[in-house]
Formats: sequence, C-alpha cells, structure tokens
Amino acid sequence: MNRTIVALLGAALTALAFPAAAHHSFAVWDMTQNIEFKGVVETLKFRNPHMAMTLTTTKPDGTKETINFTEGAPANMLVRMGLDPAVIAPGQEITVIGAPRKDDPNEYFIKSIVLKDGTKFQSIGP
Amino acid sequence: MAIGFWRLSAVTLAIGLPGFALAQAARPTQGSHPDFSGIYFPAVGPGMRSQTPAQLPYNDAAKKLVADYQKSFTLDDDPGRYCIWPGMPRAVWGAPFSVEIQQRPQDLSIYWEGYGMYRKIYMADHNPPKQLVPSAMGHSVARWEGDTLVVETDKLKPYPYMTRMATSSAAHVVERLHLEQHADAKGQPAKYLVDELVLTDPKVYTEPVKIKATLQLRPDLSLIEYTCTDTLWDDYLTQRGLTLPDLDELPSGAKE
Repeated sequence: MNRTIVALLGAALTALAFPAAAHHSFAVWDMTQNIEFKGVVETLKFRNPHMAMTLTTTKPDGTKETINFTEGAPANMLVRMGLDPAVIAPGQEITVIGAPRKDDPNEYFIKSIVLKDGTKFQSIGP
Repeated sequence: MAIGFWRLSAVTLAIGLPGFALAQAARPTQGSHPDFSGIYFPAVGPGMRSQTPAQLPYNDAAKKLVADYQKSFTLDDDPGRYCIWPGMPRAVWGAPFSVEIQQRPQDLSIYWEGYGMYRKIYMADHNPPKQLVPSAMGHSVARWEGDTLVVETDKLKPYPYMTRMATSSAAHVVERLHLEQHADAKGQPAKYLVDELVLTDPKVYTEPVKIKATLQLRPDLSLIEYTCTDTLWDDYLTQRGLTLPDLDELPSGAKE
C-alpha cells in the first residue's frame, strides 16, 4: 500500500485565523525544509493540541542519534486521517519528514509520517 | 430534540465563484424555522475559508498594547499551548475540527471538538436565563428574522492576547446565521451554515470587525474527544518528580 493522506493543517495554517483560536504560531519553524529521518520511535506523546515524539536514528558510522520532534499535528487531526497511534508506538520503525525550529535546529516539527508499508500521513508540506 | 429534514427551496441564486454551480438556499426545518442541527466541519474552497482580518482597526491605545505585547511575548507564549479557550468570536472560524449543533425551540447547543468548547445560544422568546459572570463564550440570545438566526452576544471576559484578535469585556458580537446549499470545490452538492459576524469593541477597535465563517454539513464525520491538558499535567508531575503508575503493565486476570 502506498498512499498519502493529507490533513487540512496546511489550510488551517494559512487560514490561521485560528491563530486566534486553536494553535499558536508556526512561524518558529522553518517550514521550507523537509528533512527525512528514518528510525525507531523512542517516545510518543499522541496528544492535543500537538503530538510529539522522539525517534532513534542510526548514523552512517553506526552510532545512534535521538531526533526530538517537539511538535506535530493535533492527535485528533491525525486520527481523523486514519492514523492509528499503535502503528507509531515506541519500537515501530517509521520515517518522519521534519522542519527544524529557526532558533533551535535540534527541535523539529513533524510534517509527515511514513509507515513501513509506504502509507504517508501528511499534515503539512510536500 | 426534533430532527429537521432538508427541504430544498425553489429559490436559487448564482454565486460568482469559479467551479461552483448554481446555489440553492437549503432549508431544513424545525417547525417553522430552519434547523441548524448537524455535524459540520470548516468549509474549504474558494471564498469559503474564513480568516482573521489581516489588518485589525486597533485604536491608538490598543496599538500601543500590541506593540508592548510583541516586545514582551514570544511566539511560544501562546494561550493555545495552555488550552485556553479562544472563546467568542474567535471560536467561530478556522479550526480544523468538527462542530456539532443541536437545536431545540428554546436554544441551540454548539460543541466544538477543538478545545472541547461549548456554547449555548438562548432564544429570546423562551425566557433566556441571565448570566452574571463573564465567560469565554459569553451570553448569547437569538431571534429569527425569516430564515436567518440573529444572535447577539455579550458578557465576554477579556481575551488580552494582543496578537490573537484581542477583545475586552466591552465586546459585543452580532451574528447572522443561515443555511445554503451549493456545489463544493469538487462540484458535488453540499450544504453549508454561514455565519456573518460583526464584532464591536470600542475599547479596542475603532470600527466594527466583520468576519464571514462557513461550516460545511458533514454527517459522515463525528466528534472525537479532545483532551488538551495532558502535557500541562505531565510538566507538573515532572516538576514534582512524580511518576504515575502504568496500569497497562499489570497482567490481565490477576488473582488475589
């Protein structure tokens, strides 16, 4: 299965009226970037108003690195897209496309989650 | 709750948006009035996406507060992170979550999935209760003008977040809600609840702020529980050095 499920977060961001409302500003993130990380989920906070996770990746030299995704789409939005949090539970191997914080490149926003079977849950971006 | 049915009016009107067919006024009824009951989702498509006005007509005093706020508060200092209800009028537009409306002759109840917000609109001709304490959603009283529901809201508590369409306790909101039926962005028939909103707040703005919000009827959707404060609680526990037990680690069927 290779399919992409796109959320309305992008629309919500540009509409961000709910600036007023739902979410805080996304201006802290460099959304022009799409950095791909493949690894194993270490921790998961599948929550509102934003999910968060850490991912353990293996660098070319074999050493491990923890990538800190401090923010992503609201859990409810991902559920509505059909994402079962069990498939991204700790221990699961996934790919995450992230955008770094402008003022802290060690923190990332989750733009997309790609499962091993190719299913892509895309909250914003390409 | 009496559930209305969709009765299409013979009245049609054209809307000047590309990709849209002729529009029809959709009039599900509850007694002699339209019935807004249903599950909705913020509409997307040309002309339907609602936005906070890019330029708000702040008065001079409010402009200074905005400037001061922007000096002191960062982008991370946001009430949304702390699950503060946006409240009225901000709740009306934009959030990408379902909205459920239940209508009775005496009132309407609106449930927003986002932030678990809840609002009551009382009908003026059914002896609405008074509200003593200002609140995020305020006190809303409505009347029918034909097929349009006119809602007036006051008793709002201040929302002093200057980059988030701030409002004072002097804020007054008038909404005109009506149903429409026309094609969606994909050319498929769709039903909409349109909310034309006017905010006046003489303490903050020099003139009324007008916003049009459109919800699309989505009976295929449901509301999902939206809890928002887990992170705040976790942060507190971390500060206290406490760890909650993981009940899921217990074996099933354990005997005494």
